[in-house]
Amino acid sequence: MVLGGAVLSPGLAKRVEQWLPAGKIGDLVPNQPTAVMLRVTRQDGYAQVVDRRTVFLIRTSETQVTALDSTCTHLGCRVSWDGNANELVCPCHGGRYDRTGAVTAGPPPAPLAAFDTQITDGDVLVRV
Amino acid sequence: MALGPVLDWLDSRTGYRAGLSHLLDEKLPPGVGWWFVTGSILLFLLGVQFVTGVVLTMFYVPSPDHAHESVRYIMEGLPFGRLLRGLHFFGASFIVVAALVHMLRVVLFGSYKKPREATWMTGVVLLLLILAFALSGYLLPWDQKAYWATTVTINVARSGPFGELVAGVLRGGEALGALTLLRWYSAHVFLLPACLAVFVISHVYLMRRHGISGPVEPQDAPSLPFHPYQSARDTLAMAFVFAVLVGAAAMFPAPLDELADPTDATFVPRPEWYFLSLFQLLKYFPGPLEPIATVGIPGLVVGWLFALPFIDRTPGRRLRDRPLVAAGFAALGVGVVALTALGLRDSPPNQAPKWTPLARAGATFVQDARCTACHREGGGGGAIQDLRPVRDPEWVRAHVRDPEVLVPGSRQPLEGSMTLGQAQSVVSYMRRVRARAGALPTISAQEGVAALILGRYCASCHMLDGEGASSAPDLTTVGRTRDATWLREWITDPSLVDPAASMPAFGAFLSEDELEALVAHLAARK
Repeated sequence: MVLGGAVLSPGLAKRVEQWLPAGKIGDLVPNQPTAVMLRVTRQDGYAQVVDRRTVFLIRTSETQVTALDSTCTHLGCRVSWDGNANELVCPCHGGRYDRTGAVTAGPPPAPLAAFDTQITDGDVLVRV
Repeated sequence: MALGPVLDWLDSRTGYRAGLSHLLDEKLPPGVGWWFVTGSILLFLLGVQFVTGVVLTMFYVPSPDHAHESVRYIMEGLPFGRLLRGLHFFGASFIVVAALVHMLRVVLFGSYKKPREATWMTGVVLLLLILAFALSGYLLPWDQKAYWATTVTINVARSGPFGELVAGVLRGGEALGALTLLRWYSAHVFLLPACLAVFVISHVYLMRRHGISGPVEPQDAPSLPFHPYQSARDTLAMAFVFAVLVGAAAMFPAPLDELADPTDATFVPRPEWYFLSLFQLLKYFPGPLEPIATVGIPGLVVGWLFALPFIDRTPGRRLRDRPLVAAGFAALGVGVVALTALGLRDSPPNQAPKWTPLARAGATFVQDARCTACHREGGGGGAIQDLRPVRDPEWVRAHVRDPEVLVPGSRQPLEGSMTLGQAQSVVSYMRRVRARAGALPTISAQEGVAALILGRYCASCHMLDGEGASSAPDLTTVGRTRDATWLREWITDPSLVDPAASMPAFGAFLSEDELEALVAHLAARK
């Protein structure tokens, strides 16, 4: 039990979500994914680390912003915005997503994960 | 003093002579020849991995802060370190090849048949252990390939039975990090070697228990002892393989990518050649079919290998008497080779980053007296071109903005400080130098002016070509949506275009030439 608990528990721990500021809504071009880097603090065993996490913000109306995770739902590689094709593209196995995060081509089994967002005084907050 | 009495005493207490005789004087079937050296080569290569691995652990540090730099030290600072890591790195590939050759030899000679079923099955376990060694060794240098290959591996595990549980155990924490590295290190140097030792001993014990299978057609000749007849062949074969391995390690440096960067969306991760077929297979099973590629097909292949002695129960050992087995391995071989070839074809080389305007601006900014006061030939900080930013970009940026903040005592504080954009430009420049992007290309004077303005002002808030800040819109393709007239008005005083604009007016900071250069550059970004 001691060995099993020590080996299993850290990997199964649920992380505590937090609201993080991700920029001003006024700076976002409507319907254009903008890559924003969030700094997420977490405990990694003995170390306190700051993960740099890329999120795509898409302003869908005057008061609404969608936040998409940049992690490909296929095998976890990092997607990037291809402005020429107007798609989010994964370099690993060619997964492609449209600006809503829906899969348009390739092997990803699900749309890009979306984070909760809220707008406070023009600031976009994202829950990660 | 003569050694004889001492050895006599040792033998009387341990019986080592009888043990040696048991090991060396085994009578082999007539006709055993060069085909039967494959197992010895494999055992020898495992020994090389063990010895080089032990020495590597004397210098390697299993933490994200130090792993990459400790491997780099082994490669560049440790005497014979490059050769040492080369032997271990290429040794892994040699072992995979040797294991496959050994397995094919066993299949070709029908050596898995009764009564050697258990020997075969322990061999299959050893093959899986060798692949597990290769996989767990991947992560340890904590470079780009390590990080992304492990990310893919953990996500592959998620698609199998109890996927989240298995992925959690592999990851060791809520995200890939120090805990992951430590448990993969632990598996690589403790758990897997222990398992390997148990199964190697079992495999060799079973091989001795049932004897070597010998040629397919029994030969009418006297049987000879293992030593010196077969042992001489083994020794020669091992010496040849070792010479090739040393040659490979001496000629080609074992690769080490840049430090793992979880935010990098440009790196194209590709596994080592022996996993490339599996990686490629994942492309052909989209969405809910993915478990077929991650668990189904590999599981069927491993299951078939395990069950082979029970599936093929024909008495004959000649390959032509076993067409189904021959066809099965041929199909497997063709499949693996074809998928590997497709994987290689689809693997674009990770090219050195190109020079961007920000990087160009950085090349100018690093000539600033505040940098060159320390970072010059013979200076306290070393020349910028020779530096490797081993810390994360935030650290480098903070240090560039004010060296005293992060390296107290590094210098007397100088007047003024760099803007965030200038700091970002310096980081961008250092990345290009580190990645050997080549010489700075020649550009027009106007483009040069625009690059400096971008670095000094724009990149403090805006993103350009994937670098810069993200508190304002990305300017990489701003010319698609804004023309020169609009850009000029906006940059001069945004409040005249939009009273609610949060961007400050730059008209007062820029000369007419600078404004013209900047507007022309931005309008051309399409």
